[in-house]
Order: sequence, then C-alpha cells, then structure tokens
Amino acid sequence: MYGENGYTLIKELARSEDNLPPYNAELVTHISREIKKIYDENQIDAQQSINENIEASILNTIRVRNAVTKRNVRCLMAYHFNRLKCLRTMRWEFGSILPADIKSNLSTAEIEWFSKYSRLLANYMRSIGEDGVNLSIDLKPPKALYIEVQCLVDYGKFDLNDGTTLLLKKDSRHYLPRNECEELIRQGVFKHII
Amino acid sequence: MEDLTIDDLDNISTGSDDHVQITPAEVIEMMEEAWTNEKFAPEILPNKSEIVDIILDQITTMEENIKKLSSSDFTKSIYQLEVDRLRFLVSSYLRTRLEKIETYVIHILKEEEKRVERGSEKYLTEQEFEFAKEFSFTMEQYFDKMMRFYPGVPADTWSNKIIQPNNNTFVFLKSKKRIEGVPIDEGNAESDLVDIQDGSRVIISYNSVAELVKNGDVHLI
Repeated sequence: MYGENGYTLIKELARSEDNLPPYNAELVTHISREIKKIYDENQIDAQQSINENIEASILNTIRVRNAVTKRNVRCLMAYHFNRLKCLRTMRWEFGSILPADIKSNLSTAEIEWFSKYSRLLANYMRSIGEDGVNLSIDLKPPKALYIEVQCLVDYGKFDLNDGTTLLLKKDSRHYLPRNECEELIRQGVFKHII
Repeated sequence: MEDLTIDDLDNISTGSDDHVQITPAEVIEMMEEAWTNEKFAPEILPNKSEIVDIILDQITTMEENIKKLSSSDFTKSIYQLEVDRLRFLVSSYLRTRLEKIETYVIHILKEEEKRVERGSEKYLTEQEFEFAKEFSFTMEQYFDKMMRFYPGVPADTWSNKIIQPNNNTFVFLKSKKRIEGVPIDEGNAESDLVDIQDGSRVIISYNSVAELVKNGDVHLI
C-alpha cells in the first residue's frame, strides 16, 4: 500500500527513544523510489488530462497520488530531522568524538553533519568572553565541590588538575572534585554515588 | 557567603560608560534574573552580553585569587564553590539561548532581520548570530543532500514548516513595580485588563507580558 513504508520508518525511530537505531538506508531508498514512481505516473496522467477531456476519475487519482507524495516527503523529512536532533543531544553528552558503536549506526551524511555541528559549537564556545567558555561542562547545578564516585570499568591512570595521578580500577571508590569527573561520569566510566 | 566571597576577592566596578557603580553582588543578581527569564520565556530574549562579560571577568579574577591561596586554607573551597556556581549560571544561561536558537533557527533569523530593518536593538549577540546563520546553513545543506535523489519533485524543504515558539504559554512572574492595565488576552481589543501590584506574583499568558519582561519591569519565576 502507498505510504506504508514511510509509516514504518517513523515508527522505527519513535520506538527507540534514547538510542539511535541504525540508519535505514534500504527503506529510505524504497520510499524515495516510491515517491519518484508515483510522481512520474502523476505527470503522465496530468499531461493526458490536459490533452484530452478531463475525466473525473483521473483527477481523483492524481489528487490521491499527490497526497501520498507529500506525505512520503514529510515522513522522510521527519525521520532525518529527528535523527539529527538525537545526534545533537549526543554531541552534548559525548563531546566531539562519538563512540564507535554509535558511529556505525549513522549514514555518511549524518557523520558529516555531526562534525560540522561540532566545529560550529566549538567555534561559538571559543568566541564567548576573552578566552572562551566550555559550555559542555557544568551541566548540572553544583551542590558540593567534591563528589563520591564509583568506578565502573578498568580505566587505568587518570591525572587530576593538581598533578596527582589516580589508578582507576573497577569498583574502586573515589572522592574527587566534581568538575574534573563530570565528563567521565557522562562517558559511563564513573557512577555518581548519592 | 556570597557577599564575603565577592567583597574579598575582587573589586570590579562596572558600567564605566555612564559612571554608575554596580557592586558585584548586584551584577550576579542581574545575571540570575536574566537566567531565570531566559529559562522560562518561550521565545529568545534580548541578549545580556554585558552582564555575561562582567561575570566571566569576575570568574577569571576569582580563579586567579584562588590560586594564590594555599590548599590547606578552608576558605579556598568556599571560594571555589562560588566560582563553580557562577560558572554554572553563565553556561546554563548561554546553553538555554543556544537551544532556543537551534530549535527556532529560521524563525529567529527572520525576526532578527526584521529588527535590523526597523533599526531596533538586536536580540542575538554577534557570535550567536554567526552561530545561527551557520547552523541553518548546515541544516539546509543536509536536507538538500537528502532530497537530491528525486529531481522534479516539488521542493518541500525543511524550512517550509517553521517551528515557532508558543508565546501563548503561561508563565509565573513576580512584578518589580505597580503596572496598570495589562491585557489578559493580548491581541483581543475587548480583553479585560488587570493591574499588577508591586511585588505580586501572577500567572499569565506570556504574550501579555512579553514587553514587560524585556524591559525588566517583571521577572519570570
């Protein structure tokens, strides 16, 4: 049935709320082919209706086909737009380098967009004030200077700003300055113990 | 604690243009107000880059002063926490603005263009404007690429359906002075008017008070 693929595509994205499903190139090409096919059919019929006497039945077909085309285009747009929105959130969560398992789910155009967005954001952050402000830290209001964290993976050595080096082992607990471990928490190395 | 930190750590005087002295505590208060306003207003507000710059300066000065303190000094951690708070305030403010710019990019750019034509004050800072332009450009590029493979299909670009902020949402506000005759239903000539007392708290549609928020008569909470 016409338009079914578009629905499937949107459904697939809507179902996975937080994580990005693999880019469904197959379905996207399918839909664009459908659009093209319907559009061509419509053009032929439209041409015919100009040349000959207009038949009401043809007019209705054209109208329905036109609606399908529009709907398909919207579905495609929504699919791509919402994926970008998801990617944008990831830029804030992971920083400018994406984890490999997420990267494998993206299309080349998306990766390109991501690096452009990343650069844009970095440029903006550098341009504020005299020597720039990193907006991707301090995401939550600070309650205390030090927080207790639990290490979830074997991370290895970690240098603190004051020069001391820590060895982060799995399940070890540390009492660290909040601003220094914020990023590691987001990357899933640490768990904040409240 | 705030007063102690600020008085001890710096002596920034601001507003040198008109020779009005503003204490750091007042600047922070203004920043806090700008931040809550920006957070609760559905649309983007005029930028407060002057305040942001002052606060950023202040953070730098305070950080330098902190470095001079020995790490065993108890006050050091208190100062550090204060700096952290300030930094959160500023970055959260700027982040909120960026989020709005990204979501409503086309709408905001259009409005900004109109403001330039009218010659009225710009809402975005130069850097934000640059960001907005570049951002809409990358989006356009991306969608052009997506839609390229069926030539001839009428262009239904992403910019055709503009996402606009919903200015009819209700906001909580606190008034800073007595204001008379605020229309409850903005845009409706027969709308009832309401007087807002000094210091009173009101919940009202954002449309009716947008101007009051922008000129600082009321404060969103």
